[in-house]
Amino acid sequence: MSGAALDGAVRAAGARITAALAARYRDLDLAEDGFAEACSRAAETWPRDGCPRDPAAWLYRTADRAALDALRRRRVRERLPPEPPPPEPTAEDLMLDDANLIPDERLRLIFVCCHPAVAPEARAALTLRLVCGLTVAEIARAFLVAEPTLSQRLVRAKRKIAEAGVPFEIPRPEAWAERLDAVLQTLEIAYAKAHEDAAGAGRHAGYAQEMLDLTWVLTELLPQEPEALALAALVRYAEARRPARVDETGAMVPLSEQDPRLWRRPLIEAANGYLRRAAALDSDGRRCWQAALHGTWCARRSLDQPAPWAGILALYDDALLTLGDDPVIRLNRAVALAEIAGPEAALRQLAMLDPEKFAGFPPYHATRADLLRRTGRIDEARAAYRSVLAFDPAPAERLWLERRLASLDGA
Amino acid sequence: MQYVLLIYEDESVYGPDKNGPAMQPIRARHMALVDELGDTRLGGSGLKATAVATTVRTEKGQTTVYDGPFAETKEQLGGFYLIEAPDLDAALAIAKRVPLAANGAVEIRPLIPPMPR
Repeated sequence: MSGAALDGAVRAAGARITAALAARYRDLDLAEDGFAEACSRAAETWPRDGCPRDPAAWLYRTADRAALDALRRRRVRERLPPEPPPPEPTAEDLMLDDANLIPDERLRLIFVCCHPAVAPEARAALTLRLVCGLTVAEIARAFLVAEPTLSQRLVRAKRKIAEAGVPFEIPRPEAWAERLDAVLQTLEIAYAKAHEDAAGAGRHAGYAQEMLDLTWVLTELLPQEPEALALAALVRYAEARRPARVDETGAMVPLSEQDPRLWRRPLIEAANGYLRRAAALDSDGRRCWQAALHGTWCARRSLDQPAPWAGILALYDDALLTLGDDPVIRLNRAVALAEIAGPEAALRQLAMLDPEKFAGFPPYHATRADLLRRTGRIDEARAAYRSVLAFDPAPAERLWLERRLASLDGA
Repeated sequence: MQYVLLIYEDESVYGPDKNGPAMQPIRARHMALVDELGDTRLGGSGLKATAVATTVRTEKGQTTVYDGPFAETKEQLGGFYLIEAPDLDAALAIAKRVPLAANGAVEIRPLIPPMPR
């Protein structure tokens, strides 16, 4: 009984408690250790004395006391003058009920974890650990790294934050854009990990859920930031399509061939909501545009409806105007152009791109292979498919490419 | 907290003895920054070219004196600021204002706090 209560409280409030302590003491280790101490005391006393009326509030108070004790012990050990204790709760604080006892400092903590001074490979892991409360083992599994490696990374990152003086503050206005972008990039990279696994075979299932939660938290905390709203939309559109991304044989299904009836409608509806909010804020950022692209696809209801290539092509044309002349956008535009103006026209567009720039970029070779196949240039298509396969793609993609390559023999 | 901002640039842009035409405007911009920083700046200076650097190297207890900087690199330490800043973000904001003639880097290093007495 009390075991379940403890698990529930840790899941519901653990991250919020750690964040509140980290912000109060400006020390991530102290916050984590304090919370761990509170959990172990709960495991000891709750079965004996019964579960407290408000488990989260109990954990917060106990963790706070543990952190303060640890701080005092440390100052004595290091022979530093005693730190003035954190301000006593005011009369107003005391009047707040337990539900409001734990301040929500998760946004500050997200900005700390994703500070550009923190090593990029540690930012997402640190955010998942401290803001989402994932265990080191869970994060190590998600990032496919060994647990000791990940622990080391987290230790180094926390040490950097403490010793370089990374502030536990919301960034100042002049640094806001740069810092928000660092946060959004961190979440994008973290989500890409979950998304790569097209089959979503268990390992990433829970982790993708964390990304849905984390992007939701960010939009709750920053309801006026179009790029944060757009990211929340993007993650939902992508997750919505997960059930249709792989066929029964385990091969990848391209977006235009996915059965929209398999897509998860509630997630698409939620994504549409975020996209509408972002659009209302009049933004022309990259993520807003990407979300609009996904939204156009996800408006399709069944394979009987034509694929929305015209709308997609128009969005790529917009992007070239508002986001600048980006070669990757040109490449993707060619894919849409093939459906409107035919594969020959798309190949002519591709020929205008610098092949050297794309030598190490598998989507370029895959696009070329497909266009060559459709124009009947079988030998060239075969060579292009082989160059994609040389990049050792994920299993679902490999299977699909191998089938396409094999189909050329009958052509 | 105290931080030192270490300025790395290709010193050749300032001429052979760092007194070429590119030096005057940069000096003026450093002086302006020093004035703006006021008490935030605790110290600092430009450094003469690595051509006049001397290095004492210790290996296996033996010290040897060498002509030249500690390492030959494309960009050299050319000067530093010692500043007092509440946190890294404040130090970063100052580092971004440090003038450079062209390409370069400003490394931000927190100081080890003094020993308690």
